Amino acid sequence: MTRAFVVFVVDDDPSVRSSLKFLLSSVGLQVESFESAETFLQRKPPDAPSCLVLDVRLRGLSGLDFQRELAARDIRIPIVFVTGHGDIPMSVRAMKAGAIEFLTKPYRDQDLLDAVRVALERDRARREQEKDLTDLRQRFESLTPREQEVISMVVSGMLNKQIAGELGTAENTVKVHRSRAMEKMNAQSFADLVRMIEKLKGSAEKAS
Amino acid sequence: MSHAESAAAYAEARQQVEQRWRTAFESSAIGIAMADFAGRFFAANSVFRNMLGYTESELYQLTFLDVTYEEDRKANQELVRELVEGKRQHFQMEKRYCRKDGALVWVCNNVALVPGMGGVAPFWFAVVEDITQRKEEESAHRYTQEKYRLVVETASDAVISLDETSTILLANPATTRVFGYDPVELIGKPLVILMPEFLRKLHDAGFKRYVATGQRHINWQGTELTGLRKNGQEFPVEVSFGELTKDGHRVFTGFIRDISERKQAEEMRKQTQKAIQTTQAELARVSRHTTMGELAASIAHEVNQPLTAVNNNSNACLRLLANQNLQPDVLRRALEEIVADGTRASAIIARIRAFIKKAPTEKNRLDVNEVIGEVLAMMGHGFEENRILLQSELAEALPPVLGDRVQLQQVLLNLIMNGVEAMTAIIDRPRLLWVQSRIDESGDVLIAVRDSGTGLDLEADRVFTPFFTTKANGMGMGLSISRSLIEAHGGRLWATPNVPHGAVFSFTLPVDTESPS
Repeated sequence: MTRAFVVFVVDDDPSVRSSLKFLLSSVGLQVESFESAETFLQRKPPDAPSCLVLDVRLRGLSGLDFQRELAARDIRIPIVFVTGHGDIPMSVRAMKAGAIEFLTKPYRDQDLLDAVRVALERDRARREQEKDLTDLRQRFESLTPREQEVISMVVSGMLNKQIAGELGTAENTVKVHRSRAMEKMNAQSFADLVRMIEKLKGSAEKAS
Repeated sequence: MSHAESAAAYAEARQQVEQRWRTAFESSAIGIAMADFAGRFFAANSVFRNMLGYTESELYQLTFLDVTYEEDRKANQELVRELVEGKRQHFQMEKRYCRKDGALVWVCNNVALVPGMGGVAPFWFAVVEDITQRKEEESAHRYTQEKYRLVVETASDAVISLDETSTILLANPATTRVFGYDPVELIGKPLVILMPEFLRKLHDAGFKRYVATGQRHINWQGTELTGLRKNGQEFPVEVSFGELTKDGHRVFTGFIRDISERKQAEEMRKQTQKAIQTTQAELARVSRHTTMGELAASIAHEVNQPLTAVNNNSNACLRLLANQNLQPDVLRRALEEIVADGTRASAIIARIRAFIKKAPTEKNRLDVNEVIGEVLAMMGHGFEENRILLQSELAEALPPVLGDRVQLQQVLLNLIMNGVEAMTAIIDRPRLLWVQSRIDESGDVLIAVRDSGTGLDLEADRVFTPFFTTKANGMGMGLSISRSLIEAHGGRLWATPNVPHGAVFSFTLPVDTESPS
């Protein structure tokens, strides 16, 4: 695994905290540990793929409350819960709120490492997706209003001739707009362009 | 007959009359006394003298006022004056004499003033009857009547008298407080106006039957019935009745007590009692869960922390070792931490053991069968809900043991709950739970809980190891704690397989050999 991944450990028990840090670093992960949810929140949100290994029973803000707090702050970091004694309702609540895994101490180390890997991979994928979308949006915004208009019509299935008729211009002008837009959008094919526009539409719908 | 003869005959006859009078005077059963106009006695028969306890000569020194009791003198003098003034011919007076010995005598005096005739001065003539006894009887009667009147008037119960038609003759003041009617309003009314509709016919029929046949239909000494107040409110009463025949008429007197408050108190006490019982059962259940469950949970959490750390450190070392990347100083630091966490875990266990041992216990002489009964009661519908057939075989007249009731309840509950839980998955055979008590070979009391559940694997004793559990959501602490508790009682707790299915958990408790306290 690359050094770019960061695992954050939040556990109020010092020996659990340091041993977890040791275990995770033994498989090459970068680890930062915190004794409470509050101290973690003081740190600026990480910009690398990361996940949280979180004890449910913490002094101060409990693990489950912390999970809610993170969601409220739109910090979308995957969480692996560990607990000294967990009951079913507690784990159900954590999983419903999007936790990756809910492990009961003492857990098998492989279970924890697997859960951490899943969490990191999910965070990486999410970040990549978000980055793609941001790039795409930037490229789309670099188009002129006319180019954006033409592209939207193209994607909706209209022919160049129809678009020209609609916009009151020559078919050749439409062709020029279209090829420029394809170039600016970095689209390899017409199908590629359709996918990009759909993606942008999808994220816009999700955001609204 | 010559004049002399006739004079002599006359004298003789006169003497005879005189003698007859004197005899009559002396032997009369009634006191007779005569006094001169000033009131001084000059003649008194023996009855009168005895009445006053004076001799003849002593008496003739005294006037009638001297022997009259001070309080009666004034009235006596008044009557005497009326007689002297000619307003009346004679008078009768009840008064008291004061005897020579100071005692009082009630008398009825009939007094006349005999006018003077010839040479004889007017004198007082009194016929005196000793009425002390009658007076005492009267007084006693009056006292009794007064006493009853007082009781009735001041009674806090309504006292109501009825005639043979169940019509109210009399009601005491308390009737107002009890029924809201003024006693005057009730006189002449039928008793049934003080009863709710549903009792009226019953009363009329019962009363008529009683008057006709003497057959009672209610207990006259305190029967609980329902009363009806003037405002229409019904309330519970306790009624006692008595019967008296007066001048040939039968009078029934009832004492009616408002028992609303008593009923309320009784109801309250019943509810309180019920609440207490529920609370006690609940408490026992909760304390079982808190002491066993909570303790287990906190132990689990406490012990799991160092265990987790030990595992993390060990696994990290193993991984680094596998990659041939384990530096000696890293290994040393990891091992140091492992040792520290191992020490921490054993310290926690030691603390828990000490806690269980030191947990305040209250040892009493207990009947084990009683404790079993209480625990089975606590289980309540637990058996029914899990479709478990309970069979208890309790040896009679077990000797008492010395133990902490709550702790023994907890152990028993734990064993029973384990048995119940071990059978929840059984569907191909009856779910049977036996609870047995008896004296074992060594003379200890033995209690066994036997189930037809999933049973134990070969190493039956492993179930007593802390954190060993076969249950999905178990802590593996119940049996471990139970064993500690039984051992603290000087007994043993062990498990054996049941034949053909299930497990038997047995524990012994030494018999209390101390003399009964």
